[in-house]
Amino acid sequence: MSTNQNTLFRVENLRKEFGKGFFALDGITEEFHKGEVVVIIGPSGSGKSTFLRSLNLLEIPTEGKIYFEGVDITDSKVDINIHRQKMGMVFQHFNLFPHMTILKNLCIAPMKLQNKSKEEAEENAMKLLKRVGLEGRANDFPSQLSGGQKQRIAIVRSLAMNPDVMLFDEPTSALDPEMVGEVLELMKDLAKDGMTMVVVTHEMGFAKEVANRILFIDKGQVIEQNQPKEFFENPQNSRLKEFLSKIL
Amino acid sequence: MSGFRDNFVNNFIDDQRWRYIWDGLGVTLQVTFFALILGVILGFLLAVIRATYDKTGKLKVLNFISQLYITIIRGTPVVVQLLIIFFVIFGSVNISKIIVAILAFGFNSSAYVAEIVRSGIMSIDKGQFEAGRSLGFNYVQTMIYIILPQAFKNILPALGNEFIVLLKETSVSGYIALQDLTRGGDIIRSRTYNAFMPLIAVALIYLTMVLIFTKLVNMLERRLRNSEH
Repeated sequence: MSTNQNTLFRVENLRKEFGKGFFALDGITEEFHKGEVVVIIGPSGSGKSTFLRSLNLLEIPTEGKIYFEGVDITDSKVDINIHRQKMGMVFQHFNLFPHMTILKNLCIAPMKLQNKSKEEAEENAMKLLKRVGLEGRANDFPSQLSGGQKQRIAIVRSLAMNPDVMLFDEPTSALDPEMVGEVLELMKDLAKDGMTMVVVTHEMGFAKEVANRILFIDKGQVIEQNQPKEFFENPQNSRLKEFLSKIL
Repeated sequence: MSGFRDNFVNNFIDDQRWRYIWDGLGVTLQVTFFALILGVILGFLLAVIRATYDKTGKLKVLNFISQLYITIIRGTPVVVQLLIIFFVIFGSVNISKIIVAILAFGFNSSAYVAEIVRSGIMSIDKGQFEAGRSLGFNYVQTMIYIILPQAFKNILPALGNEFIVLLKETSVSGYIALQDLTRGGDIIRSRTYNAFMPLIAVALIYLTMVLIFTKLVNMLERRLRNSEH
């Protein structure tokens, strides 16, 4: 397999063992390309979150290799912290830093990791806050925001590092229904701007509308993948058919 | 009433006996202050080692040593530790008693601080750690910028309590003939054969220091809370 210029991630035979003999990931081989929006769906406990979290090594795979921008990040000699700066990650529970203002949340990583000056980091942060319409909340603390606002801040906190790819781990699952829309809008916006995105979600509407490709993961394996239209209208695998019949 | 006055003069004014209290207070404050700094620095280090092991399984050997240290320190009386450091470890060395007391109380406090800080670190949601790491912070940076500031706020009441205990525990410094506040009061008692006045004065001074310190901790707590809502 040769890595072409366009490949952002290449994953080879990825396996993750949780406890004796249980493989949350059971041999996944996959590629993600620049500018691609890939949505990952699957039943709970299927390994989809574990897969996403192993892309930036929050989960350390038991076997297999992950190439990010051509570098094998599973090699223990590689400094993962450098590569993580290029991979934004958005969590289900936002994980904003509660002891910092919104502005500080956005500035701390660029200042400490990219040696940006305070002025530079704050200027960039304010631009990002304007983009999500929250520039008025710069000096508030996370606890003063709604869930939807928190998640939008979490997204721009990652964007402040100017990443090459954004990983989303069920970004709307912890939100009240009326707040899901504002977060999905921002994600659509990002996709439109050409951001490479890998998204674990249960939002089928988002998958249909935005994804270039949808992966169905079950029992730690990619069972089926396709473009959205085919994926939903013409599923092949019986487990996918059963899954879709339950959620649609 | 004149009895009280005579008593007071006899215990504190004659022969400038108040100086035993005053100088003793200086010693107590010095020992407490430096022991506190030693205890906090060492305690944080031990806590980070223990928490790192708890979270990641790394630093196995260091964790074992830390755990052993904490077990021994917490399992033996501070007076015995003070005596061992003075008579055994520095037995043949001429060393200032104040430094011995600082080391003894600092080491002792560090074991308690370590367990307090460790519980604080463990109480911070795992997601905070992951958010820090996912942005590209390494383990130590994540600890310093994200975990410890939050942990510190949570454990402030427990730490404040530990410092009060430390302040009061230094009153056993007399065992190595260090003239701290308690010993100062006791010397007056032995000179004037009057126990009530010097000892009550000593007790009131400890109480006042504890009250002031409690107030300071409460103020700090409120300030940290206000900065988070």
